[in-house]
Amino acid sequence: MPVAFSGKRLGLLLLLFLSLSGGSPAGPTMTIQDASQSQANSLTKMQAGLNESSSEHMTTTPTVNWQSQGSPSDHLTLGHNVSMLGPDLTTQEFKQAIKANVSSLTFVEYEVLLPGVSGTSIEKNITLDSATGIELSCRLDSKYFHLKNLQMTWKRGNETIEHINKTENSWGIQLKILDNSKLGSYSCTLKGEEISAIFHLQVPKIEGKEKPIVSYEGDTAVMICKSFGYTPIAWTWYRTNGSEQIAINDSLLADKYVINSVSANVTHLKILKLTREDDGVYWCEAAFELGKSKGKLKLKILSFMVPLKPFLAIVAEVVILVTIIFLYEMYSKKKCAEDEKEFDQVEQLKSEESNGLENSSARHRKI
Amino acid sequence: PSANVGRAPGPPDGGWGWAGVFGAFVSIGFAYAFPKGVAIFFKEIQGFFGTSYSEIAWVSSIMLATTYGAGPISSILVNRYGSRPVVIFGGLLCGIGMVSAAFCTSILQLYICVGFITGFGLALNLQPSVIIIGKYFLKRRPIANGLAMAGSPVMLCTLAPLNQFLFDNFGWRGSFLILGAILLNCCVAGALFRPIGAATALVKTQATEEGKDALKEEVTKDAMEMSNPTGVPMETKMEEEGGKDCCEKINKYLDFSLFKHRGFLIYLIGNVLMFLGFFAPIVFLAPYAKHIGIDEYSAAFLLSILAIVDMIARPTTGIIANSKWVRPRIQYFFSFAIAFNGACHLLCPLASGYTGLVIYSVFFGLAFGMVCAMLFETLMDLVGAARFTSAVGLVTIAECCTILLGPPIGGTLIDTFGDYKYMFIKCGAVMVLAGTFLFIMNYYNYRMLAKEEKERKAKEEDPKSVRTENEGRNNWNKETAQDGPELEPLREEQEGLKKEVNGT
Repeated sequence: MPVAFSGKRLGLLLLLFLSLSGGSPAGPTMTIQDASQSQANSLTKMQAGLNESSSEHMTTTPTVNWQSQGSPSDHLTLGHNVSMLGPDLTTQEFKQAIKANVSSLTFVEYEVLLPGVSGTSIEKNITLDSATGIELSCRLDSKYFHLKNLQMTWKRGNETIEHINKTENSWGIQLKILDNSKLGSYSCTLKGEEISAIFHLQVPKIEGKEKPIVSYEGDTAVMICKSFGYTPIAWTWYRTNGSEQIAINDSLLADKYVINSVSANVTHLKILKLTREDDGVYWCEAAFELGKSKGKLKLKILSFMVPLKPFLAIVAEVVILVTIIFLYEMYSKKKCAEDEKEFDQVEQLKSEESNGLENSSARHRKI
Repeated sequence: PSANVGRAPGPPDGGWGWAGVFGAFVSIGFAYAFPKGVAIFFKEIQGFFGTSYSEIAWVSSIMLATTYGAGPISSILVNRYGSRPVVIFGGLLCGIGMVSAAFCTSILQLYICVGFITGFGLALNLQPSVIIIGKYFLKRRPIANGLAMAGSPVMLCTLAPLNQFLFDNFGWRGSFLILGAILLNCCVAGALFRPIGAATALVKTQATEEGKDALKEEVTKDAMEMSNPTGVPMETKMEEEGGKDCCEKINKYLDFSLFKHRGFLIYLIGNVLMFLGFFAPIVFLAPYAKHIGIDEYSAAFLLSILAIVDMIARPTTGIIANSKWVRPRIQYFFSFAIAFNGACHLLCPLASGYTGLVIYSVFFGLAFGMVCAMLFETLMDLVGAARFTSAVGLVTIAECCTILLGPPIGGTLIDTFGDYKYMFIKCGAVMVLAGTFLFIMNYYNYRMLAKEEKERKAKEEDPKSVRTENEGRNNWNKETAQDGPELEPLREEQEGLKKEVNGT
């Protein structure tokens, strides 16, 4: 798919050119391609040279465009490397660091081209794991240029957003996503026509395992959770007890649970001395700057009797087959022996006959 | 005595032989497909023991190395006890290995249980299965070989989803337990390997085990003489040269005099060279597909296409190899198959996109099946069924090294150059070289054999030399056969047989 691919390329380009700017010592600031043109508090846009370029803006911006011909829910992710802050920073200090540097935030623009078909809705998922500036804009198809009195409303849930940046045929809003409260779904709707686009701003998803992990009583189980692309700040494990979720404290129950992280993106939960009660659902929760994300894992505990039954069944089948084969062989050998005895007797009789008078006929028979 | 002439002691070429082929199918299938099928559990086991992937991959490598490396031991045991007890013991060993693997608590124990014990059990399965085909078939041997070798892709296609199913339902420990039971089916395959040739002797006398084996060897050798006269002059000369007692004893268990056999040496060198580039493309096909942008499931599907084409190609090659045009020149057909394989690999880098790779997989499956179907058939053709037991053991231990080296060398090439095409070029070049070498050397071998055949016929026409040859053969019989009073009547029958043979 061309759109996904170009978006990926863009994402890679952005990741390549992200680096700490010289001025700020700490904070996830981003520099753009032409560093000399970065300005505080200004909307800077980089042109990736993809589709349309707005001639009104001097500077370059990362523009991500989705064509409506693509699948309705493209997923574009831009990763920002948070690790430069150091692993010890708590979420609170982090937020303060963000606020201090909000003035030098760069905005990333996401644009959607609204299709010409009325009654449609496009959805886009945007994954964010750390504080960023976002500009969402909806661009109209050329079909609508003849219409007058075009009005586009931006909403988040039920509340309407006031400050809309309108250009010739696109409406955009600027958002500073600093904490979890700003995440959610933002939609732009064209009045009159029932056309809308929804942007879902979310934290990165953690994948658990769909299939249950099977283990046995008395054995050890290891559950692994991975975060792809984004590095979480902290991992927590939960266990579902009825309808509650209880956090697993490995220092408290050190001989039962062991939690360790091989790397920042991966966490392992080791459960020792399994019993029937350990059966159930487990959650691994990754804490990001902008929120938390959970992955689900299922643990199934079996007793050793369960695989033993098929095992014994197959062993029985093998023994039966081998016995049948050997019995058949003995039977066919006996038959052979009996046939041979008969044959021998017939031959003896024949030879006795041939030793008698009829020589010629015996000779014929022998040949 | 004439009663036994009707039951020709040569290979029956049918009858119970087909049951033996089915047993060989199962046995060979497990031996080749099991190391690959076990790889499905590796990811989970890796997380369980907290090791790296390469440490887990050693399990498969140890299993494969043991299966090939224990070849000579397998040959010795078959020479001593016959195919059936060895296969049954091998099946039991596999079962024990996997069941004990289900209770392992460290990666080292897995190496021992799954790697060594199961690998050794599979080795005891593989060689006798191939040997028993040579004992039961002569005229239809290529078909039998092709059918038996088809067990490998069929088992692989069955084991892969089965292993996944077992893993989803029982976890890796339960799966190993059940797989141990499934491997016990090799014992069933072994039970089908009824000893052949000594059936008539058993009825009449109570010959010892060793006596039976010696008789079998002689009987089959006679059968070989009947239909493959080119092989005989070499063998009789070789055996007469091995005069010392201890050398004879060793040669009875494992025939080292094979290293003087021209055909055997040609086969050995050619095959050792070929295996350097044989398995690497399969190992790297899926990663290569992912590398050029194909998704995981389509990449896995390429391997399925390969297996399905392989499945069909093996018996078909057997039938083609059995036809009267190809059978006398089967060595050329084998060399062609190897070179064809090499050509496929050389052309692979030119394949662009998924369609190109699908076409490559089809041709690769075809070539792979052709080579595998004839792998043991050509060896049997060169050394004869009697010495095949030892030959297969010596060949597999020599191939063991190159089989294990092939994929890592390919991997190093990929890592150094960052491009898969050099690996394909290396494999293709090695195989084309091996194919050409085998072709040229076998041409030379056929010419020498034809020359020797002419000399032998010239000698036979001379009546004096016939008597001396027969006497020489009788002396040799007395030397090699274990003497016992029970065998006297048998040997007389034998010579009566020989006279009939020479007459026809």
